[in-house]
Amino acid sequence: MTRIYTAEPQPRMDERVNRDVGAVVTALDLDAELMLRVKDGDGASFGILLDKHRVPVVHFLYRMVQNHAVAEELAQEVFLRVYRSRATYEPTAKFTTWLFRIATHLALNSLRDGKHDRTQERLDDTAPDMPVRQVPDVKPSVEQSMVHQAKMEEVRKAVAALPEKQRAAVLMHKYQEMEYTQIAKVLNCSESAVKSLLFRAYETLRARLAHMA
Amino acid sequence: MKCPIDSRETEILVAYCSGSLAAERSPLLASHLEDCAACRQFVKDQQAVWDALDGWQAAPVSADFNRRLYQRIEQPHSWFDRLALSLHWSGLRQAIPIAASAAVVLMAGLLLQHNFSAPPVAHHNSAVVEAIQPDDLENALSEMEALSQLSRPVRSDNAGSKM
Repeated sequence: MTRIYTAEPQPRMDERVNRDVGAVVTALDLDAELMLRVKDGDGASFGILLDKHRVPVVHFLYRMVQNHAVAEELAQEVFLRVYRSRATYEPTAKFTTWLFRIATHLALNSLRDGKHDRTQERLDDTAPDMPVRQVPDVKPSVEQSMVHQAKMEEVRKAVAALPEKQRAAVLMHKYQEMEYTQIAKVLNCSESAVKSLLFRAYETLRARLAHMA
Repeated sequence: MKCPIDSRETEILVAYCSGSLAAERSPLLASHLEDCAACRQFVKDQQAVWDALDGWQAAPVSADFNRRLYQRIEQPHSWFDRLALSLHWSGLRQAIPIAASAAVVLMAGLLLQHNFSAPPVAHHNSAVVEAIQPDDLENALSEMEALSQLSRPVRSDNAGSKM
């Protein structure tokens, strides 16, 4: 159904929440409001969401599949699905919960399909767009750079060795700073299951990376 | 406070390392850490993990990411893509090959059942027991005699065959 977007002032966010979804969702985030505008046909709101969440989603997928090209391809698919689902979007949870649920789903499928096995990148692969290690004022020596690269390779391998769900939970907890509750919704499991996932994941990572202290 | 390690609540220590522990609990935990070597070691190891993960940077997103996405959005969305998407999200993605295999097995079963349940070809040496009318009996006997005459050369070739 096509809804015509008029120039009339938009209702306040809380008025829209009560009108559209009732009192069930009491804390509607701004992203969900933007997505409701996308549902109404506002393409600019989709652009805002894309610009805001593009980097976190790509980086999450990169750390999951550990291949930058595959990560971007999957991220494209994430936002494509977000856009194509706009007509049926309902803000029953935080927008990022929904977004990362799609991303995690695609990442897990990609890992299980083994699409990235032969193309896994090493951190020391030369790429013109790879970030340069930032050291204020003092340029790192060649030896320091090599030591740093070796450390990051160790981190990459340690994370890659985690079971997929543990990996996803750690990445969301560490880099997206998600609470256990939200991670549980993304992974469609209980909060106690998330605690267990993170307990085992961090236990493994401590065993492998604690010597870096 | 209770030792987080003893009470299996190490997420408190993880939260403390990440700086996300509730403000009112941090002083209590800090006090506990002064007396508990195990928790101190845990915090030290977890902080090392945190620092290591902090150093793991991802490459910047491609400059043409948005352009490529909008190109894909503008492409026609086929009915097949919509069906695949709906199946994907209804959790049937992994069930499709299972369903296909089941369908093949079912078809094979139906075919085998058809073959086994089909009426057996009347052999001149086998006893066929069925309820038939007298007229049908006479016709059946005539047919059996005709079959017998037809199979006589075969019977001489298979003299050792069982009945």
